[in-house]
Amino acid sequence: MTSDSELVASGRVRLAQLAGQVIARTEGVTPTTGPAGRWQTVGAQQRIAGVLAVEDVRGRVDLELHLVVRWPPQMSLEQLGELVRGRLRDSAGAAGMGARLGAVAVAFDDVLTEIESA
Amino acid sequence: MSDADKSTRATPTAVKAPAAARPDDDAPPEELGRTTIGEGVVTKVAGLAAREVQGVHDLGGGTARAVSSVTQKVGLGDAFNQGVSVESGVKEAAVDLTLVIDYGESIPRVATAVRNQVIKRVEFITGLTVIEVNITVNDLYFPGDDESDEAARVA
Repeated sequence: MTSDSELVASGRVRLAQLAGQVIARTEGVTPTTGPAGRWQTVGAQQRIAGVLAVEDVRGRVDLELHLVVRWPPQMSLEQLGELVRGRLRDSAGAAGMGARLGAVAVAFDDVLTEIESA
Repeated sequence: MSDADKSTRATPTAVKAPAAARPDDDAPPEELGRTTIGEGVVTKVAGLAAREVQGVHDLGGGTARAVSSVTQKVGLGDAFNQGVSVESGVKEAAVDLTLVIDYGESIPRVATAVRNQVIKRVEFITGLTVIEVNITVNDLYFPGDDESDEAARVA
């Protein structure tokens, strides 16, 4: 029997975790699981909100990040998407998983005002 | 528009990753991933931008505001989308706004300021070119409009 501490995340889940960490440290964005909570990755006893990870037969993992941007954004959404994408590629490279990371789609689904986040 | 451009635009506001972000120079941009912006985001940005202008009291017609106040109470509505209609394409967006303006403000000045602010915010944030901002001033707000008659009777 495998205990919780012995659970090892798959490459797919590991990349989703890295994506979650990148989102968390990026100013001005928060992940969203969507209205039905379907934008999340579950694995290794974790739920990574706002990240969908799909692994293909070659072991390449495509990621879809669903984000809410805080108002007012300090840069364009295109730049913000590029920032997240670039940071994730750097993180995956540093973790030795750069070759497994496929396309990283970034979707901005909503804008969050100060009143809404209070 | 080139075929490469077309392939990266699955949604009206999808933008392709620039070449600078490529880990592999041979990788086509679509393999790096797309950035997409929900239509609701463009609508909300336009609504929030309009509210930033001094003299704008609220957005939406009387019915829209009444319905919105009810839907918000049950957690269904988004007040910031009220009074805003956006039609967005691949590169451009057209915005229709219905405003309630504070009594005493110059309607032409407020309308011009709203138009400029909406264009500035939407173009900067979404990268879309705003081709028109149509503004309807639906009502004027007088201080005291929010006080109910019942409150006045018991005072």
